Amino acid sequence: MDYIIQGFGEAIGLLLSFDKEIYSIILLTLYVTLMSTFIAALIAVPLGILMGIKNFVFKKTLIRLLYTFMSMPPVIAGLFVFLILSRRGPLGQLELLFTPTAMIIAQVLLVAPIIMGITYNNTREKGKTIKQVAHTLGASKLQALVLLLFELRADILAAVVSGFGRAISEVGAVILVGGNIKGHTRVMTTSIAMLQSMGDYSQAIAIGVVLLVISFVINSILYQGQKVI
Amino acid sequence: MDIVLQNILKKYGNKTVLHIDKLELKAGLVTGIIGPNGSGKSTLMKIIAGLDNAFTGSLRINGGEVNQEINKNMTMVFQKPYLINTDVYNNIAYPLKIRGKSKTEINNKLQNVIRLMKLEGIAHQNACTLSGGEMQKVALARAIVFEPRLLLLDEPTANIDPQTMQLMENAISYVNQRCNTTVIIVTHNIGQLQRMCREAVFMREGKVEKQGTMRDILSNIKGTYIDEFLELDM
Repeated sequence: MDYIIQGFGEAIGLLLSFDKEIYSIILLTLYVTLMSTFIAALIAVPLGILMGIKNFVFKKTLIRLLYTFMSMPPVIAGLFVFLILSRRGPLGQLELLFTPTAMIIAQVLLVAPIIMGITYNNTREKGKTIKQVAHTLGASKLQALVLLLFELRADILAAVVSGFGRAISEVGAVILVGGNIKGHTRVMTTSIAMLQSMGDYSQAIAIGVVLLVISFVINSILYQGQKVI
Repeated sequence: MDIVLQNILKKYGNKTVLHIDKLELKAGLVTGIIGPNGSGKSTLMKIIAGLDNAFTGSLRINGGEVNQEINKNMTMVFQKPYLINTDVYNNIAYPLKIRGKSKTEINNKLQNVIRLMKLEGIAHQNACTLSGGEMQKVALARAIVFEPRLLLLDEPTANIDPQTMQLMENAISYVNQRCNTTVIIVTHNIGQLQRMCREAVFMREGKVEKQGTMRDILSNIKGTYIDEFLELDM
């Protein structure tokens, strides 16, 4: 029990000490997480909406695949990106393995299906009615799409929040493609995993608490945004 | 806008839900569509509104095919209206905004329609927090604010109180008379039908059973299905 209390104390100490290494880990975590969520949202939101309002061949198969990808184990995504980016892989010459970019790619692979799946479900549920209303009020196709986006704004933000949650808590994929290199690809989750294996529980708890606080702050901002819009 | 439907056939799988040889709905009139549940009334409305294109046959409005120009001049109010997740004012302003009207024109038109529909007290309330009756009023206000040439109403006054119903009926009649708007209203309320409609169409099992003036519809019906239906419905 002592080491848990000690861990909380150290968490405050770590934040107040302005330790350069800790802050570089925090910043890299934020960079990788926010960037991957942003890129995933850019790809997944339009695709989710498109899938929700359009009917096409193999749609059912695509939905099944999407749901499968939504629950894809992170290590599989990590392994896939690792193989693609490894020296002998198809994109090996880009030399992206063990870089923050590789970590972002892996997280996009994990986050995009979640955002797309949630957006698709909300669009399927409300999209037809919204399109009908827009049509009956004389809206053009573009105006109908704008109305659809406006009406789904809170749902889209909820999807992005879920994606962010997956990204910030992820460890399996980023450790495979990032390698947990000190000062280069070490993020908070990989730090916790490493510290736990080293038996340094207090430090692990400390970083865990910081991670939770960051997650709480960002989710609060997004939640507030959801309420405002 | 006069509407002519010919040889309309609409099926869901193997089931025929609408089979109309010929139906003409005259411009500038309020025409009631009546009939039991499942008789094809709502399907007919959706076809006219352009919301259902999966049918065979011909639909001509004002003598021509339905195009973007006609679409912009007609609207439909549903039994369960969908209101945009914003305040009442912006809901009603939406059709004017997408038509590129100026702020002054929008304000003037909105003031009139808000007064007509007695929505002053809730104009700045979020539309999604309104009661069912208020939502119906807002949906009708949004439909009439741009003075459409064709107004399709699918049971717009179902489950609302008599005062609100009267208010909505007055607003519909006002638009019909002032803008020469063709109104087609699906209703189960025979009193409403008699108050508002000069002509009516009785539908049954996807077909037009009888069409004509209200007097035509109600004459010589003793012992017929229509008599039975109206007796039950009244």
